[in-house]
Amino acid sequence: MMVLNKFFVEPTEHELEKASNSYLMSLIALMAGLPFPIINLLATLIFYVGNRKGTHFVRWHCTQALLSQLSLLFVNSYGFWWTISIIFTPEKISNHYIAYMLTAFVFNVFEMIATIYTAIQTRKGKHIEWWCYGNITNAICKP
Amino acid sequence: MKKIFLQISLLIILFFSLLGALNQVDWMRLFRVEKITKSTEKKLGDMFWNLYHSSKDEINNDSAHRIIDSLLMRICTSNKIERNTIKLHIVQSTEINAFALPDQHLVINTALIESCQNEMELCGVVAHEMAHMQLDHVMKKLIKEIGLSVLISITTGNAGAEKINEVIKLLTSSAYDRKLEKQADITAVDYLENSTINPAEFANFLARLGQKETLGSQYLSWINTHPDSKERAKYILAHSNKIAVKAKPVLAADSFSQLKKLLQ
Repeated sequence: MMVLNKFFVEPTEHELEKASNSYLMSLIALMAGLPFPIINLLATLIFYVGNRKGTHFVRWHCTQALLSQLSLLFVNSYGFWWTISIIFTPEKISNHYIAYMLTAFVFNVFEMIATIYTAIQTRKGKHIEWWCYGNITNAICKP
Repeated sequence: MKKIFLQISLLIILFFSLLGALNQVDWMRLFRVEKITKSTEKKLGDMFWNLYHSSKDEINNDSAHRIIDSLLMRICTSNKIERNTIKLHIVQSTEINAFALPDQHLVINTALIESCQNEMELCGVVAHEMAHMQLDHVMKKLIKEIGLSVLISITTGNAGAEKINEVIKLLTSSAYDRKLEKQADITAVDYLENSTINPAEFANFLARLGQKETLGSQYLSWINTHPDSKERAKYILAHSNKIAVKAKPVLAADSFSQLKKLLQ
């Protein structure tokens, strides 16, 4: 699911730290704003906007982190509003609801593990491209 | 670009395949969701009823119970609701009030029965409260106003008396929000029509008490806590007009007046 590629320029220590931080940003936001999935996306987006004038390596990893958060936003938002409707409206807990929340949980766990792994590897100077997200990032983020 | 779309499609297929596979499992049974909810609701219902009961006199007259039971039975049978699940309580009180407690406790005050001109009006109120119970409004209101953690602490005996009194006050004197009230009214109209009871009588009851409400009365709890009685009467009539009801009598000719006498 992940490909270790060599980036065409050797990133500096400062770049490695910033690129790694883009992944950590989403994790910190996840802890701070677990019930509100939009917070994760906003935190990553702010970090992305802050680094949009950064070097290609930093921008590339900020984009990959942002894309991973963006896809989870739809999954988590749906789950979040479903839960709210169960609490405040006549909607009841159902098999579909539990199945959906478990699916969302599995995807979140995968994303979290991938984020932690990528943050560590990026800090070590390794360029990790995620399956699917890496290709989209390559298409969006040009040198 | 083609590769990207293919990968995105695969990711979406993976998500829905996992969702589909997990949907096959009976999680409700596995996690005993219904059992846990029912058991919490039962504990709360019994506890609140016992506390409310301790300060009020319950009418245990068999004849009075039998008459109201026949009204309940008519609505339950016509709407496929299990009568046995509803715990009917008639309470001696000068307050015009009826309310539902968790675990299907239906409490009707004697003053409310006395203020009804006929059994159809009483059926309207009963159908409204039954709609709250069937639509799970009672527990939803409690969770919304009190919070699930406090409710669980009440069932485990860790909540203070002040909190329990607050919950009882909420259940007996506060209305549900406007959306839930309207939903209960509309459902009540359906229940009444399925039972061949004319919902117009329920609307009349609301309109009549609505007039009293403008004059002001401290005993009109059921109306005071259910805002805009006239507006409610209007939409009940509007909804009921859609379906023609050939009303059939619920009780024998003098049963309702007999009920009123029994409660005096």
